[in-house]
Amino acid sequence: MFRNNKVAWLFVLPALTFLLVFKIWPIGVSVIESLTMTSFTGTKSFVGFENYEYLFKHDPVFWKSFSVTLFYSIIANPLIVLTSLLMALLLNSSHFFTKFFRTVFFLPAAISFAVVSVIWMIVLDPYNGLANSFLTMFGFKPQPFFASPDQALWVLILLNVWRSSGYWMMYFLAGLQNIPETLYEAAEIDGASTLKKTFRITLPLLTRTISFVLVANTAFNFLSFAPVYIITKGGPMGSTNLLMYESYKSAFVNLDMGRASAITTILLGIILVFSFFELRFTRARFEY
Amino acid sequence: MKKRSLWKTLILFAVLGIISLFFLIPLIWVVASALRPASPLYEYANPLTWKSFIPTKPTLENFVHIFVNLNFGRAIMNSLFVSVSTIVLTVLVASMAGFALAKFEFRGKAALFTIVLITFMVPFESIVIPLYILIKQLHIDNTYWALILPGVANGLAIFLFRQFFSEVPSEIMEAARIDGASWFRIYWRIVLPLSVPAIVTVIVMVFMFQWNSLFWPLVATHSSRFEVVQVAIAVHRSTENTSWANLFSSAIAGSLPPVILFLFLQKYFVRGISGTGLKG
Amino acid sequence: MRKLLLVIVLLLGVMLSATTIEVLWMGWPQDQVMQLVNAFREETGIDVDIQLVPFGQLFQTIEVRLAAGDGTPDVYIVDGPNTASYAARGYLLPLNEHFSDEEMSAWFDASIEEGSFLGTFYSVPYGTSSAGIFYNKAIFEEYGVPFLPETVEERLTWEEVAEIAKKLTKDTNGDGRTDIWGLVIEQIDRPYLIFPMVQSLGAKVLSDDGLVSQGYITSDEFIEGTTFYWKLFNEWKVSPQGLNDSAISREYFGTGRAAMMLGNEWNIRRMLQYPDIDYGLSPFPYFEGGVAVTPTGSWHVGINSKTRKLEEALTFTKYITGKEAVITWHKLNGIAPARSDVYEALPEVFDNPIWQLFVKEMETTAAPRPRTPGYSQYELMLREAFNSIHYGADPRSTLEEVAVRIDRELRKYR
Repeated sequence: MFRNNKVAWLFVLPALTFLLVFKIWPIGVSVIESLTMTSFTGTKSFVGFENYEYLFKHDPVFWKSFSVTLFYSIIANPLIVLTSLLMALLLNSSHFFTKFFRTVFFLPAAISFAVVSVIWMIVLDPYNGLANSFLTMFGFKPQPFFASPDQALWVLILLNVWRSSGYWMMYFLAGLQNIPETLYEAAEIDGASTLKKTFRITLPLLTRTISFVLVANTAFNFLSFAPVYIITKGGPMGSTNLLMYESYKSAFVNLDMGRASAITTILLGIILVFSFFELRFTRARFEY
Repeated sequence: MKKRSLWKTLILFAVLGIISLFFLIPLIWVVASALRPASPLYEYANPLTWKSFIPTKPTLENFVHIFVNLNFGRAIMNSLFVSVSTIVLTVLVASMAGFALAKFEFRGKAALFTIVLITFMVPFESIVIPLYILIKQLHIDNTYWALILPGVANGLAIFLFRQFFSEVPSEIMEAARIDGASWFRIYWRIVLPLSVPAIVTVIVMVFMFQWNSLFWPLVATHSSRFEVVQVAIAVHRSTENTSWANLFSSAIAGSLPPVILFLFLQKYFVRGISGTGLKG
Repeated sequence: MRKLLLVIVLLLGVMLSATTIEVLWMGWPQDQVMQLVNAFREETGIDVDIQLVPFGQLFQTIEVRLAAGDGTPDVYIVDGPNTASYAARGYLLPLNEHFSDEEMSAWFDASIEEGSFLGTFYSVPYGTSSAGIFYNKAIFEEYGVPFLPETVEERLTWEEVAEIAKKLTKDTNGDGRTDIWGLVIEQIDRPYLIFPMVQSLGAKVLSDDGLVSQGYITSDEFIEGTTFYWKLFNEWKVSPQGLNDSAISREYFGTGRAAMMLGNEWNIRRMLQYPDIDYGLSPFPYFEGGVAVTPTGSWHVGINSKTRKLEEALTFTKYITGKEAVITWHKLNGIAPARSDVYEALPEVFDNPIWQLFVKEMETTAAPRPRTPGYSQYELMLREAFNSIHYGADPRSTLEEVAVRIDRELRKYR
């Protein structure tokens, strides 16, 4: 660590300018918006924490949506991080086949979501979909997938794994390049098994990358709602009604910016809390 | 690692092969559909036959149509231009900030780091209206700047650089300081060259971000000459008329640039000097 | 150097003389829209900067663009029922003084009604719509069910449709899964197709001032109609649950996986993609003892109330909704024109009995969706309720619950 206020701030300044202008300023506006009520003619009035109070105490859908969101993230986040980490560990060599597999796993992230949604609606069509054709071929019972309140959220999680594992794998692959080869060589002389090397060397030295992926993925999971918007519309029976979709509806359909911003501010709080624990957990606290 | 026996490798590849089917089958089906002349989709979904995945009379007519009649090439060029410009600016700006956050102690660092984190924890949908009003006041709406500049404000990239730069040994920098190198020179000549995997990762990250953006380009630019890839793909879906042929062919054509970029940049996932054993 | 100067002067001249108006438009295929825009540019010398916005992003893009309040876009596409919402917020220019009675008489009454709010005309009809029961003749023949009647005089009741649907819901290969569905609903949860059902029983779907739903969507008639809809999916199981995408519903009907489809007039064009299908059209059913009501409404064109190019915006709006342009547009896109003179001008298209049936419905039984400044939130919440009901939720309690939420949203328009 070097100490030099002036130099440090000079390095930070360009990025800070961009962040302040294009992110912090509009975020500030949005947070302030959560303390106001907008009439339909567009006049705003300051109402304090009324939007929050309404959400917590009276809103008929908030708590259900809150628990759906929490459940979704708590399952999806570790699942994706583990899958992508495993992929990266298996594919960390420059063999031709590993390059092939890496690209295959990355493919779903590269395709427009407008089409991903169509693909999955058709693959998982309960009556004529590819998935059920496969299941019945192997003697299983056909499944309702998105048409079942018990399965829809799980299918959504699976879709997320399919779409984003390869993307996060890329970060782990990059992180793995920072681990010194000599450490492995030393361990090999001691006769350590692959598993032992993974737990003793790779994972400890990968913590900074792991904490990055954990935090970033947490934010992504809490904030993404495209599959809900396009495929399930929050249903069946509200089983996929993520908070972010509630906020979206409030903002652009119900024209209730106060409620919309209150929800996203709450989401910000939740994500910050999660991130704090994740950074703690991975011991990558920022050094003072 | 090299001594791993052959059968272990074979099993590993067999397992990976089966997993990759899960990733590939839906995509092969889409590619097959795009290579057919416009036709009913469900003919090829149920019952399942080999024809579901291999078109009997493959044709490129759907691709020709989107490029010749629907200006898809222009959309690709627009998105490429926006993505590449954003990448250049972001890599520069974010890596500088990441360097300071990783290697310096300074007043306000904790607050700054929190700001960086917050910027990617707020959904775009909730800042779109103030952001739109802002770019109108800056008189950059309906220009490429409106698409590029907000994309450069990328906290995630700063966070990533910070994580990776922390692994670069400080000893090298101290040595360079003693030799009289300026901080900028250290950043430019030592830190950046040692962090190729991080730079490559940020390039892909920013590219994917700009390549996949749909809502902001619609708001920030209104002239058809700025139409971007995701817009040109999404227009093929609506309640009254969804064109499967156009939708699938444009989505496949539109996914090639990120895939090619990823294929090409893979070879830069190599160990830097930071991987030689010095610990920071 | 001289040449360069000349070019610059010329360029400047062109830039200054041609006014450009900004148009925000629905994301119809570029090759179709540009034909009309180019023709307009040639005819009037007014340049049009047109943005084609995908349907999925259309409404939120309009919201953000209008929220900036600087008079752009000059002209924008309006989904008919949203007229009241934009008008109430002052986003739309009142058009009464700009359109003569003669001009107004070209459009169907229901379309004018949909484009008006509190007696003022705000959005010009661009298209309209109707719906009915499309049926697959091959499936009817195969199972010995007589073809459906195709005139309004012999309109079927919903009870009859349900009986036929039960007969035609088939598991053809005996694997315990339905392979042919009796009835597919093209837009499964949209009030557009469900309102006419309940209205046939005499239900009103919203108070006259458009601000109260309790007592209307919770009335016995409304619930009776919705219960019928619930039975289609849950008791008789003649309709498939979870077909959330209208394009996929059309696939089902087009490829022989459904015997009947309750769908829109645009299927006349869409079904051309399915070469094998031989279909007929039966009018929108009614409930026994009730009246016939059919859905209608579609895209309209509005002018930004703050536009700084009123004249040009008006010229464009009149052009694009005028007889010539609508004729061209129908040939290109197949949308149902909202002007009766277009139907007369294209006998070779509209003399077809299927179109004749739709035109008759538009003139007689068509009822526009309710006019309320809160239409989009009213519709969204009802859609969610219908969605739950089609998955099996109890109609009465679902509607009672949603009525409370709707009324809370509508309160702000008082």
